[in-house]
Amino acid sequence: MYDLGREQRLDKYDLAHATVREILTEMKDISEIMVDLAYASIMFDSEEIAEEVKNLEEDMEELSKNIRIKTMLSARTHKDATKLSSLLEVAAASRRISNAAGDIVKLMECEVDKRPFLTFILREAEEKIKRLVLADSSDMVGRQIGDLGVESETGMRIIAIKRGKRWIYDPEEETKLKAGDTLIVRGTDDGYDVLRSFANGDEKWPVYPEEEEEED
Amino acid sequence: MDQLDEMLLELKDSSELMIDLAYSSLLYNNKEIAEEVVLMEEMLDELANNIQRQAIARVMQDRDEGKAFTAIKLAAAVEEISDAAMQIAMVTIHDDEPHPVIRLSIKDADTTITLAEIKQGSDLVGKSLGEMRLASQSGMWIVAIKRDRKYLYGPDKNAVLEAGDVVISRGPPDAEKYFHDLCSGEEHLEEP
Repeated sequence: MYDLGREQRLDKYDLAHATVREILTEMKDISEIMVDLAYASIMFDSEEIAEEVKNLEEDMEELSKNIRIKTMLSARTHKDATKLSSLLEVAAASRRISNAAGDIVKLMECEVDKRPFLTFILREAEEKIKRLVLADSSDMVGRQIGDLGVESETGMRIIAIKRGKRWIYDPEEETKLKAGDTLIVRGTDDGYDVLRSFANGDEKWPVYPEEEEEED
Repeated sequence: MDQLDEMLLELKDSSELMIDLAYSSLLYNNKEIAEEVVLMEEMLDELANNIQRQAIARVMQDRDEGKAFTAIKLAAAVEEISDAAMQIAMVTIHDDEPHPVIRLSIKDADTTITLAEIKQGSDLVGKSLGEMRLASQSGMWIVAIKRDRKYLYGPDKNAVLEAGDVVISRGPPDAEKYFHDLCSGEEHLEEP
C-alpha cells in the first residue's frame, strides 16, 4: 500500500530528534484522523482503511513512548515536572482516543448484517463521512489542499484520498488534487453540498478578495 | 430510526464535540469550556448506561445478540473517547496555566472553536440561520446550540436562535471576534 500522507510524517529516525511539541502535535492529529478513519472503515466496509487505523495505532504507541522519555529528560525542577506531567496527561488522552478508534475498527469483525444500523447511525450523525469524486472540469484539480483552504472555505476536512489503487491518508496541506481522485471527507451536510458543487465543476472555487457569491 | 439508534447517534455527536471543546479549553486556558466538558461527560455516562441496558432488553425480545453486542461495543468505545476529553479538560481545570508547549501543539490547527451567548438585542435572535446566511457572513459554522440544559447538534438552515442560547461554533481564528460581537449585539449583520 502506497501512502503519501504518512511518508512525510515523523519516521523513527526523525523521532529521535523531534521536539516534544512536534510529537504532541503529531499525536493529536493522528488521534483525530484515526477516529474519522475508523468510522469511515465501517461506513464503506473497507478493510484497507481499517488496516491503516491499525498501523496508526502502532505509530501512536511509538510516539507515546518517545514523548514520555523526552519529557522526563527535560524536567529540571519540581515546577518543570508539575507542568510536564500535565503535558503527559494530554498525550495519554490522545493515545486513549487512538485506542478507542482501534476498538471501533474491531467492530468490522462483527458480521455485516449485525452492523447495518451502524452505517445508518453514521449517515445520520451531525458530522458525516462521505465521499466524492473530483471531476476533470473542477478548478480544484491541480491545486494544493492548503492553498485552496478547503477546510476554512467549506468546513469539510479531507481525511483520505483514493487515487487509482493508492490511498493517501490524512493528506498534507501540500498534497495536490488530481482529476478522478475520490475524496473521503468529513463535515456537515451543508458543507458537503458546497464542496460537491466545487468538485463537480458546477461552481468556481472562490477567489479572495472579491465580492462574496450568494449562498444556495 | 429507533431509540437505540438515536441514543448511539447522540453519544457519537457529543463525544466529538467534547474533544473539540476540551482542546479549546486548553488552548484558551478557559475553565468555563472545560466545565462544560465535565457536564457533558456526566450526561454521557448516563446515556452509555441506557444504551447498554436497552441493548440487553432488546436481546431478550428478539434474540439477536449480534446486534446488541455491536451496540454495546460501540457505546464503550465512544464512551472511552468522551473519557479522554474529560482527561484533557481536567488539565485545564487543575492547572493555573497549561504548559506553553501544549498550547503550541494544539495551535497548529487552522480552525478554532468558541462558545458565545446570544444576548437580547443581538441581530441573531429570531431569524433562521439560512435567512441570515450566518456561515458565509461571519465565517463561523454553528456546530451546536445549548438551550437550557439540552444540546442541539448540527442545526440546519431552518434553526432559529433565541436570546439566552449558547452557541458553539467553529471557524478561522480571525473570524472569532466579529462572531462574538454579533452574538452580544455589539456588531450588526450586513444588510443582504
